[in-house]
Amino acid sequence: MKIAVCIKRVPDQDVRFKIAPGAKSIDEAGLKFDLSDFDGYAAEVAIQITEKAGAGEVTVISLGPDAVQETLRKALSMGAHRAVQLKHDAAVHDGNAIAAALAAELKAGGYDLILTGRMAVDTQNRSVGAQLAEKLGVAYIGAITQLDVTTGMVKARRELEGAYELVECALPAVLSIDEGIARARYPSLKGIMAAKKKPMDVKPAQLGEQRYTLDSVELPAERAAGRIIGEGADAVPELVRLLKEEAKVL
Amino acid sequence: MTASNVVFAMVIVAAFGLFAWNARRLVAQLQLGRRDDDRWNALGARLTNLLQIGIFQKKIFRDSVAGPMHAAIFWGFCILTAGTIEFLVAGVFTSFSYSDFLPDALHQFYTVNQDIWGALVLAAVSFALFRRITRRVKRLMGAETHPNDPLLILSWIAALMLTMFGDNAMELIANPAGAGHAWEPISAGIASALSGTVSPHTALHVGQGFWFAHAALVLGFLNYLPYSKHLHVVVSLPNVFLSDTSGPAKVGVLRAMDLEGDVEVFGVKDVEHLSWKSLLDGFACTECGRCTSVCPANITGKALSPRKIMVNVRERVEQRAVEAGVGLLGRKATPPSTANGEPPTAHSLLLLDGYITEEELWACTSCRACVTECPVSIDQLSVITEMRRNLVLGESRFPEEVMPAFESMEQRGSPWAFDPSDRAKWAEGMNIPTMAEMAASGEKPEVLYWVGCMGSFDDRAKKTTVAFAKIMLAAGVRFAILGQEEKCNGDPARRMGNEYLYQMLAKDAVGVLNNYAVTKIVTACPHCFHQMGNEFPQWGGNYEVIHHSTFIEQLMAAGKVPLRQDLHEPVSTFTYHDSCYLGRYNEVYDAPRETLRRALPVMNLVEMPRSRDRGLCCGAGGGRMFMEEHVSEGGKRINAERADEALATGAKTIAVACPFCMTMMADSIKSRESDVEVLDVAEVVAGRMVVQ
Repeated sequence: MKIAVCIKRVPDQDVRFKIAPGAKSIDEAGLKFDLSDFDGYAAEVAIQITEKAGAGEVTVISLGPDAVQETLRKALSMGAHRAVQLKHDAAVHDGNAIAAALAAELKAGGYDLILTGRMAVDTQNRSVGAQLAEKLGVAYIGAITQLDVTTGMVKARRELEGAYELVECALPAVLSIDEGIARARYPSLKGIMAAKKKPMDVKPAQLGEQRYTLDSVELPAERAAGRIIGEGADAVPELVRLLKEEAKVL
Repeated sequence: MTASNVVFAMVIVAAFGLFAWNARRLVAQLQLGRRDDDRWNALGARLTNLLQIGIFQKKIFRDSVAGPMHAAIFWGFCILTAGTIEFLVAGVFTSFSYSDFLPDALHQFYTVNQDIWGALVLAAVSFALFRRITRRVKRLMGAETHPNDPLLILSWIAALMLTMFGDNAMELIANPAGAGHAWEPISAGIASALSGTVSPHTALHVGQGFWFAHAALVLGFLNYLPYSKHLHVVVSLPNVFLSDTSGPAKVGVLRAMDLEGDVEVFGVKDVEHLSWKSLLDGFACTECGRCTSVCPANITGKALSPRKIMVNVRERVEQRAVEAGVGLLGRKATPPSTANGEPPTAHSLLLLDGYITEEELWACTSCRACVTECPVSIDQLSVITEMRRNLVLGESRFPEEVMPAFESMEQRGSPWAFDPSDRAKWAEGMNIPTMAEMAASGEKPEVLYWVGCMGSFDDRAKKTTVAFAKIMLAAGVRFAILGQEEKCNGDPARRMGNEYLYQMLAKDAVGVLNNYAVTKIVTACPHCFHQMGNEFPQWGGNYEVIHHSTFIEQLMAAGKVPLRQDLHEPVSTFTYHDSCYLGRYNEVYDAPRETLRRALPVMNLVEMPRSRDRGLCCGAGGGRMFMEEHVSEGGKRINAERADEALATGAKTIAVACPFCMTMMADSIKSRESDVEVLDVAEVVAGRMVVQ
């Protein structure tokens, strides 16, 4: 089985961001970048399928400047077999443009299964997977939490509010992966060494039309500091009064 | 020479021949291990270890009951070996005696020693047998031990002594004049007691019986050794000599792995990946259980037993040796039994998984208690660390809660997911310069304060950080911090087996420090202290690293810390909890205690039963800080075990000198109804300073 996994390089989310001059992007100075969480789950799912079958190939593909090679290398060290960089130095926001570039690369590849993360954890657009399926003319199942691949078919589970649904479709298909399905493995040193020798193709990205542009980025307003009203039972009346009058939640 | 002399000579040659053949096999078995571990350096220091730990039994005496008992057997064994040689030679050349070439006085000294030590050994092995059979000493028990082996050996030694005395006494009855200048009070006592009932003629024959029995026991004993844990008789002294656990170099320094090298296996999966020295450790282990009895994991009911690790190493070597054609004579392969009785697979035969489980390896706090305790200088900890390396680097197998710590060290330069830009937040408003600021103005501080990740981010540890900084400011120390240029030095990664991540971080840190030409570093974290002082030289980082307890003590000794002089406070009772990486790793025991005494002249410092080099770990070392502690039924948290001990002293304050110990002790104290405080030594001192 040939599997492609589309991955994105994103900044570490556990830091306080600063806005770059011009307010068009975040300030990248001092930031650490890594594989987007959901894309990590997707890569893990793909690698587990080939490991279990003892056959097949996982190709990881990422769009961006040369820095994405580091992210691709990480997926290779987890166990993916080869990598493709769709080179484009400027930031792209429109999922349509990205999906077109991915489709151009993937359509002739003979892939049985194409996986994406449910969303990129930085921009959270969730638009590439579905658009990619549309451009490739194959089925799409979004945000799956369980997956069972058999010959020519996939069965998947999707979480809904208070319920879940089981869906199936014929291959080839594009699936976007939600959390809970698999945790991305920590690459072993053996994997890191092996990754250095795996093939990495670099091709210019054939972006589609960018139909929207980013106007500005702003930080959310800082949350007001909490207040300690008092301790023990004596503080309760005041707390109730504040919840009623100030917070207006009672 | 008579015909019986010739026959006996042939028996001796056969017995020693068999022993030599098996000994050659044992050497070949050691050669199954990694051979790039040179132990023939610093011979002077090694000789000192051999004398102190081996000959003078320094560590054996750490147990006040078994210590004298073992020393009697050991010293007796050394002295009686001279007699055994005379005995064997005389079996071939009947007239041979040391009296032929020793001056009379010396010969008398020799004979009385043989006699007295024979009795001492007999008394000691009798006590040992009595103790084993009736006293059920906890440390001598355990699923991994071979309980019948010591009973056989002790009986065997007792029989050796009894036949020796029998032979001597009968000879004295048979030929009273033959004793010459020999002085054998005990043998003579037996002879005179029996001389009424045993005639000289009978004595001659009974004496021959004892003689043959003694000869058979001696030669049999020699050839039983390789098949028994009692091989330690032969291996222990060389093992002490070749060990690195008490020097010559700094102790507890992990082997620097060559990660670029073309190796198939990282760390240890099976015995051939272990150093030959670890295999020798396996041969030297006599299952005394002192290591396991002090292991914090084992004490609190975890799966780890350091003794089992060594027993497993030896078992697997024996197994591998048979496969490799270097097994002892007659030894057959006995694969480990699988849990569910299924036939073993190739994988289940390996040291990792086949003998030693992942669970055991992750239970270790790397506290060095086992290594410190071992009377024959076995290094259990190096086996555990090398196997962790294989789990992490080779197979990416580790408790899942460790993953965020690894990722955060890599991403944010700290095992906790704090924002790196908050690293120096504790110093806001304190007017403490960074190295960059100092360098910019062409200055150099006298000392760099390495704050460490806990000291920088953990709310409780930050109080210690501020306290220590205030002490230095008050004492007029010109110091600087790295601020946001400081990142984890990788020690937790190394202890958890992630040598790849460790080397990345350690090399980065050395780069930053060397860039500022740092020469002197002070830190309040014993883990950073050990790592940077003892392990950074592996990466070209050579600094004088001082722990804050020592640094404060020096400042106080020099009268630089302005302390209040009001000595009318009520006497407060303190106990001090030793940090493993400060204590057993670096032998800093007195500085923190002295710091407390200087700060509180009226303080009452009470020691816990387990203190100094016997101190019990808080449970956070070896990366355990980042792992869940799974408490089995009847088990306990390690920090609860230690906090119980601290509270039992009646102390009102538990002083610590490590942010990890601080968390563990404070957490356990917090979980119970107790008003006992946990304070860092720096906080105690800062609390006594004249407010400025």
